[in-house]
Amino acid sequence: MRLRAPAIVLLALLGAVAACRSGPPAGTTRVVLRYQPLGPDAGPLRQLVAEFERANPGVSVELQAFPNATDLAHQLLVTSLGAGAQDLDAFVLDVVWVAEFARAGWLADLSDVAPPERVRAEFLDGPAEAVIQGGRTRALPWFVDVGLLYYRTDLVAEPPRTYEALEAAARAAMARAPGLAGYVWQGREYEGLSCNFFEAVWGRGGSAYADGRFRLDTPEARAALAWLRGLVDGGISPRSVAVAAEEDARRAFQEGRAAFMRNWPYAWPLLEDPASRVRGRVGVAPLPSASGAPGPGALGGWQLGVAARAPPARRAAATRLVVHLTSPEANLVLARAYGRNPARRASYRDPRLAAANPFVARLFPLLERARPRPVTPYYVMIGDALQGELSAAVSGLRTPAEALRRAQAQADEIAGAAP
Amino acid sequence: MSARAAWTTAAAYLAFFLLPFGWLVLTSLWPDAELARALPSRLTLENYAAALRGGGLARAVANSLAVGTATTAVALALAAPAAFAVARLEFRGRGLLLGGALAISMFPPIATASPLYVGLRAVGLLDTLPGLVVPYTSFSLPLALWLLTSTFRALPGELYRAARVDGCTPFGAFRRVLLPLAAPGLATSALLVFAFAWNELLYAITFISTPARRTVPMALALFGGEFRDPFVVLAAASTLATVPVVLVAVVFQRRVVAGLTAGAVKG
Amino acid sequence: MSAPRGDRGGLFAAPAAAALAVVALAPLAATAWLSLRRRVLVFGVDEWIGLANYRAIVHDARFWNALGNTAYFTAVAVAVELVLALPLALVLHRASRGRGALRAAVLVPWILPTVVAAKLWALLFQPDWGLVARLVPGGGAVLASPRLALHAAILVDVWKTTPFVALLLLAGLQAIPEDLSRAARVDGASAWRAFRSVTLPLLRPAILLAVLFRSLDAFRVFDAVLVLTDGGPGHTTESLSLYAHKTLLRAGSFGLGSALSLVTFLCTLAIGLAWLRAVGARRGREALR
Repeated sequence: MRLRAPAIVLLALLGAVAACRSGPPAGTTRVVLRYQPLGPDAGPLRQLVAEFERANPGVSVELQAFPNATDLAHQLLVTSLGAGAQDLDAFVLDVVWVAEFARAGWLADLSDVAPPERVRAEFLDGPAEAVIQGGRTRALPWFVDVGLLYYRTDLVAEPPRTYEALEAAARAAMARAPGLAGYVWQGREYEGLSCNFFEAVWGRGGSAYADGRFRLDTPEARAALAWLRGLVDGGISPRSVAVAAEEDARRAFQEGRAAFMRNWPYAWPLLEDPASRVRGRVGVAPLPSASGAPGPGALGGWQLGVAARAPPARRAAATRLVVHLTSPEANLVLARAYGRNPARRASYRDPRLAAANPFVARLFPLLERARPRPVTPYYVMIGDALQGELSAAVSGLRTPAEALRRAQAQADEIAGAAP
Repeated sequence: MSARAAWTTAAAYLAFFLLPFGWLVLTSLWPDAELARALPSRLTLENYAAALRGGGLARAVANSLAVGTATTAVALALAAPAAFAVARLEFRGRGLLLGGALAISMFPPIATASPLYVGLRAVGLLDTLPGLVVPYTSFSLPLALWLLTSTFRALPGELYRAARVDGCTPFGAFRRVLLPLAAPGLATSALLVFAFAWNELLYAITFISTPARRTVPMALALFGGEFRDPFVVLAAASTLATVPVVLVAVVFQRRVVAGLTAGAVKG
Repeated sequence: MSAPRGDRGGLFAAPAAAALAVVALAPLAATAWLSLRRRVLVFGVDEWIGLANYRAIVHDARFWNALGNTAYFTAVAVAVELVLALPLALVLHRASRGRGALRAAVLVPWILPTVVAAKLWALLFQPDWGLVARLVPGGGAVLASPRLALHAAILVDVWKTTPFVALLLLAGLQAIPEDLSRAARVDGASAWRAFRSVTLPLLRPAILLAVLFRSLDAFRVFDAVLVLTDGGPGHTTESLSLYAHKTLLRAGSFGLGSALSLVTFLCTLAIGLAWLRAVGARRGREALR
């Protein structure tokens, strides 16, 4: 039949492709690291890994990249780890997953090589708090992020410290430049919205989580969500924030179409790029707060963990790899090659950091104040329910008070139902 | 339909389908920093360079072609005889087969991802391309089965009887007489199965972890940083990934036309 | 029945049946089993709870919202696709020169991976700089609007799958004997009459097949709503599949997520049964015989 010949060719092709699996030389321990690409050039990371292999003869590291979409990465890790897979030894974790994975028993205890007291002393507070679970170190911080207020230095005299000042400055700028948006942020139904919400709550002195329970239906939370909604209703933020993620806000700001933006540090080098319309006219400041003190930004960033179920030899090698990748030298490489903010305090005092990446060095006070989102194994579950309600409020479907009441009810149900 | 009406309609459809694709191609030539503007100030090939860096995309296209063609071959090889049997032969459970196939195609893929992961791991096919062909075939089988069943049913009944009377075995009659006449249905099914395998993302991402075995949708999903969404590079990669498939489709079309004209001459 | 007596089809159908049973049935069975348990991976919970997940779903407002969104999406998308695909199928059937190129060109949206197509339309619908926002008044408000956002997803689906429907209809057209329609024309009927009284009725099986498969697919919409709006704003574009996905993989609630998937399956089953009734029970039985 006519299909026969092509079928044979295909089977041969598949066989060839499948056979292309080259294993490590016999007698070596193969450690698999699953990570998200840090940038288009994998070179510096590979060099770090090669350094490790030289220092640890007999260990060969295989790098496997996953998609950068955070939810997809979470899904893949949950599927493999949940099925008891032993094909990964070290992997990256978003700051909000550590509690969850630790509770599930998927993270090896790293306290022997990195005792909690030392982690607290050497790393920034926020990430240290996120990786120490039940008094044991479950992961090591790799790099950190924090929510920042970006502003146009040519439109705004000095960065506003309070919410009223922000609104006033935004209105003044909008009056001077028609078509300008006052303040762009992330209001899409996803985790970025939760970050914006928590920042607004913390800035009003609220905490959103206390005594092991989510506190979403509090006066501070209601005020925070009402303020966010009010930005849209009052015209300070365009309606499009209801579907905006980081890039939407960044591009609008980069085109000179907004006076203020809330975003992560990754935007800075893009804003200062020669092709940017606002190059040289951008400032960065802490988020505002009700009292005028610098408002805490949400803590972001990634950690490295070791699979608890990996066989002992691989687990030990993976642990050493993780320690190597989170060392002070590695922090510097990440900052220099990929613009990632080091998680270690001492890195910020290193003159090489200021020389290689002055912006990152300047972020230190803001990173010190970065506040983690509620550290609880329920975070991802409750986060899902919370995002829906926050989005309903921001887009005008529901009042903020009603949305938070519902969010609290769902959070209680979820946390109450599971042990 | 008059020729004029036909051409106008065709042009309208082409515009609807191709203009957005044209925009995609234009975006692939657009400098990233200018994406938020109405039109680019210049066209650039830097996105293509970025897309091709590391050779991952070319390998992904090869992998997807291999998986797609294998899935198509296996799915058709299984579906054609079964569809023929349902349409023209007698056996119990025809309803069960068609109904069951339909039911299977109704299932949300996400729910099957975990059990399949465990199953593939058990037989050692996890993280292999043949391991992808297995679920792809099963989940594209229902559509091929139903389509081919109606194709075979549309063929005149006497053909089969005549062939049997002439001394053919049932399989011989199927192979030599009916199958060639079902060419248009086969070509259509082949295209649909191939497109399914080509576009499938969820299983590919769940089962494949080695970078060298990635398929096109996975490679495309990997562009981007944590917050960055470099759509321009994705556009370049998508354009590159689409071209080979369009070529495959064009080649296939010729076969269909050849099959049709051959059938017409014979008939 | 046109086969000589005794021609058994069992062997012809066995390989396909085996492939379906082995690969597809086992996961389905596993999902059904999981749906009767409470299984939260992270907390190591795994216990039998019978139909409690289903009871929870019945009382879950988010489920009904997702079901409503999905039903609306399916009905509108399939109707629009059918209406658009029929003329296209006729044109493809009729075209003599350039048939191959035309068919290939029309397939381009179908060939593009769904995620890319969705991202392309997300770019076009981008509220601040997207083409739709620039060219169409009010176009920028679509994605952010709780009432309009779902229609953007419908447009993506229509753009992407009308070619698929056209191909199914084309296969049906190709199965119609040439002489029939030619005879009708010779008899003096206008092209439209010939089409309506001869072609269309003969095309009915293909149309019904297209409606069936497209409905089943549209009911499981996932990529488009995820990429365009993440199911928002406020869950107004959240489809059943997206809700099941979030429950399974974000919340890690495997029991509830499996139950949601099974319910989605039962809804699509209902669509299949409705199809059988529409086709007419006798014809349906013929189709399945």
